[in-house]
Amino acid sequence: MGSDGAGWVGKGLARKEDNRLLRGRGKFIDDIRLHDMLYLKFVRSPYAHARVTSLDTAAAEALPGVICTLTGAEIAHQTNPFIEIGPDPFARIAELVQVDYESLEVVVDGEEALKASVLLHEEAGTNRVWRGTFEYGDIEKAFREAAHIVRIDKMHFHRFSSTPLENNAVIGQWDAKDEHIYYWCNNSFPSFAMQFIAAHLGTPIDRIRVQTFDIGGSFGIKITSYPQMSVCALASKKAGGRPVKWIETRSEHNVSSAHGNERTFRDTRVALDKDGVIMAIDSRHIDDCGAYPRYEPLGCVIWAQVFPGVYRFRNARIDFSQAVTNKCPVGPNRGYSRMQHLWFLERVVDICAHQLGIPPDEMRLRNYIRPEEFPYTTPNGCVYDSGNYPKMLQVAKERIDWEDWKKKQAMARAEGRWLGIGIGTTLDSGTNNFGQSQIVNPHAPFSGNSQGANCKLDIYGEVVVAVGSCPQGQGHETTAAQVVADVLNIHPDMVTVRTGFDTERNVHTGASGTYASQFAVSGLSAVHGAARKLKSEMKQLAAFLLKTGEENLEFGMGQQGPQIRAKDTGSSVNYWQLANVVNVNSAVLPEELYELTLNCRYVWRAPFKVPDKEKKYGSLTLTYASQLHIAVVEIDRDTFIPHILEYVAVDDCGKVINPPIVEGQVYGATAHGIGAALMERCVYDAVGNMLTATFSDYTPITAVNIPNVRYAHMETPSPHSYNGAKGMGEGGAAPIHTISAALQDALFSSGIVVSDSFNNADTLYRAMVAKDIYQAGDLVKMEKRA
Amino acid sequence: MPIKFGGDFQVPRAPEEVYDFLTDPNKFAPLLPDFQEMAVQDERHFEVKVNVGISYIKGTAEMKMELAEASRPQRARYKGQGKVAGGNISLTAGFDLVAAGGGTKVAWQGEAQIFGRLMSVAGGLLEPLGRKNVQKLIDGLIVALR
Repeated sequence: MGSDGAGWVGKGLARKEDNRLLRGRGKFIDDIRLHDMLYLKFVRSPYAHARVTSLDTAAAEALPGVICTLTGAEIAHQTNPFIEIGPDPFARIAELVQVDYESLEVVVDGEEALKASVLLHEEAGTNRVWRGTFEYGDIEKAFREAAHIVRIDKMHFHRFSSTPLENNAVIGQWDAKDEHIYYWCNNSFPSFAMQFIAAHLGTPIDRIRVQTFDIGGSFGIKITSYPQMSVCALASKKAGGRPVKWIETRSEHNVSSAHGNERTFRDTRVALDKDGVIMAIDSRHIDDCGAYPRYEPLGCVIWAQVFPGVYRFRNARIDFSQAVTNKCPVGPNRGYSRMQHLWFLERVVDICAHQLGIPPDEMRLRNYIRPEEFPYTTPNGCVYDSGNYPKMLQVAKERIDWEDWKKKQAMARAEGRWLGIGIGTTLDSGTNNFGQSQIVNPHAPFSGNSQGANCKLDIYGEVVVAVGSCPQGQGHETTAAQVVADVLNIHPDMVTVRTGFDTERNVHTGASGTYASQFAVSGLSAVHGAARKLKSEMKQLAAFLLKTGEENLEFGMGQQGPQIRAKDTGSSVNYWQLANVVNVNSAVLPEELYELTLNCRYVWRAPFKVPDKEKKYGSLTLTYASQLHIAVVEIDRDTFIPHILEYVAVDDCGKVINPPIVEGQVYGATAHGIGAALMERCVYDAVGNMLTATFSDYTPITAVNIPNVRYAHMETPSPHSYNGAKGMGEGGAAPIHTISAALQDALFSSGIVVSDSFNNADTLYRAMVAKDIYQAGDLVKMEKRA
Repeated sequence: MPIKFGGDFQVPRAPEEVYDFLTDPNKFAPLLPDFQEMAVQDERHFEVKVNVGISYIKGTAEMKMELAEASRPQRARYKGQGKVAGGNISLTAGFDLVAAGGGTKVAWQGEAQIFGRLMSVAGGLLEPLGRKNVQKLIDGLIVALR
């Protein structure tokens, strides 16, 4: 892309959006007050599983100020179901006010759910959402030839969520005057939500306008707000077209927005050679997706994007099932369905390393995909673009002073202290291939991935960029401006990037939104394409106005701002003049330039094919950022509280567009992961009550709980993106893997194997004193072959 | 998890008298702590309202009660289901009566299950509060049956 060259990409430019956000000038949904606006409140069932036996809304409707109520029956009458399994989700949440319930038996465990002694959706006849076997290579041969076989009975990845500062929020208006539905919302994947809502409400999708503005965090959770968006529209319709606002409360968010997938790993067998090189893995995974598959069963295959993790083994079989339980539906949560699998693989590596007496760092080096093997095709056909995991380990060790900590650890152990050093290597796969949905549903009309952008010279010559993303803190305004500034050889301050998503900008595609660690690839590729189209048009126009050839032109800054200059004569034309000629002074144009608009839309498409549905084989993601973390953790022998003494995070997201933005996202993902590893857990009792519905019980991580994180960056440019960048931000849950590893390292000599992703003083007490969990003798068996 | 209660007490009255008292809603229900009002549907069903105050959740619990077992004079058992701000409650309360020492020994067992947000926000407070209120009820019964 030779002509880009102002050099803004890669610079640590201060974020353009911070000036607005830090001064309190951000525009969030609850800042919007519309004329005649009403407010919506959901009445929620106190039961995790119940049948509505009677419903009376009269008392509520008689209250002064109440305009109307909307029942599940009314909603069902006006809509088509979102999903074919189970009833309309609204039927359970929109029953209003005087409701009598018949309480039903509940099931809150995925494995129990598969026994089907209690059915959540009787008409489905099963609690199993999907089942599939992902098998590659020759498993049995590998086990026959193995020097060691390690068996792990059960491991469990816990349920946690994201806690964005701003909860879900939407204003919906069903305007009968122009037969449109208007949404002002903070959904983070609106083009996807619209496709559901249009079908659900029986409305042409062109009649739905969705706008997003500033969004106070999402981490994926806000993808699943489309049911509430539909209810707002229906409530507006019933209220005569008045706009209806719903602002989710914090406890509503915790109980009913979305949680990350909970997963149990059963009957794992690992075949290893005499040196500890993994030859095969065979395991059975049960995913708990909560009460309704709102974004599922896509999670049943998304994890396969990272099927072997960062490791070289070629033989594997995963029997994957997903079950419904009487808990909050799951959805993307700082990554979607992959961190569970990556945690599983990291646990397998650590457990095998300890069983074989191989140091965990050495075990990884023996099993990592080698730098010279990239691009690396995984057993299931994914193509890892680039990476250097051994180098990351080396960098992390240097940053944390590994040898010094090993000496300190030996001294601490001699004093009887529980001090562990853990490594977590993980992947952040970005820009997904929606064709993987066809593995779980061969009829799903989705494949590939795309993003749109528009770049134009406005009538007065201002460079204006619009993108189909809806950022929630990722700095899209800044990075998009950097890319355009490089193309046009101007300063990023001279590029205006429109905030948020708006259907009527006509920029978006059906895959537009902000999710799956991809903006640096899909978003910026679209912006880059649009900017180059614009540049091409500007060149043609300038050549005509300056009466010279395009090859004689150069872009840059002049006394009147951005301009295009003829190299030989020095004569120039500025952006206002270009825009003027096209927009309001067009009689001067020759006919051959009539097609120029200086308003250029570009759609970038990822070069994917539809995966082989039978073999479950194909490229499922375009780029693979990698993270390697090391933690030193000491467990207090009196209180059992784990303390992080040292922490390092090494990140490789290919070519970095804006270093401080990347660094900030690494810190954010690290904080979230540490919270998940040690503090944050969604706890349910046996009848399905969520016991952690408030922050005082859920205890999200805060600034005071985050250790000093040493940060280092590596760049292995991606050959799959025009700029060498890889999507990043989700972070692959590296701290969860890392802290589990450190705790096991601290306690393995006491006979402990860490088999759950959540650990706090209580679990460690149970492991070390009550001895009712984590006992290596119960969990792990090793067979040494002749 | 359900909250379970149980115990026994001795009163000087005959089992028949104790049984008749326990199975008469008009006598039994007003002894419920923070009793507000009651409406009797038939000899086995009544609705009762009691005041509730748990942390910042304050309001009225409306309980639909049913005399599920009535075996004069050995056993009486109530089942109830009700609504309170932020949740629903299911409960059972059973009384086994045995003639003893010229009066009656009453062995009682109860179980309460809370559903919904109430459990989420006040779960830790419910068991001690429940024990306190059950003790109030038992104390009231002992006084009433002297």
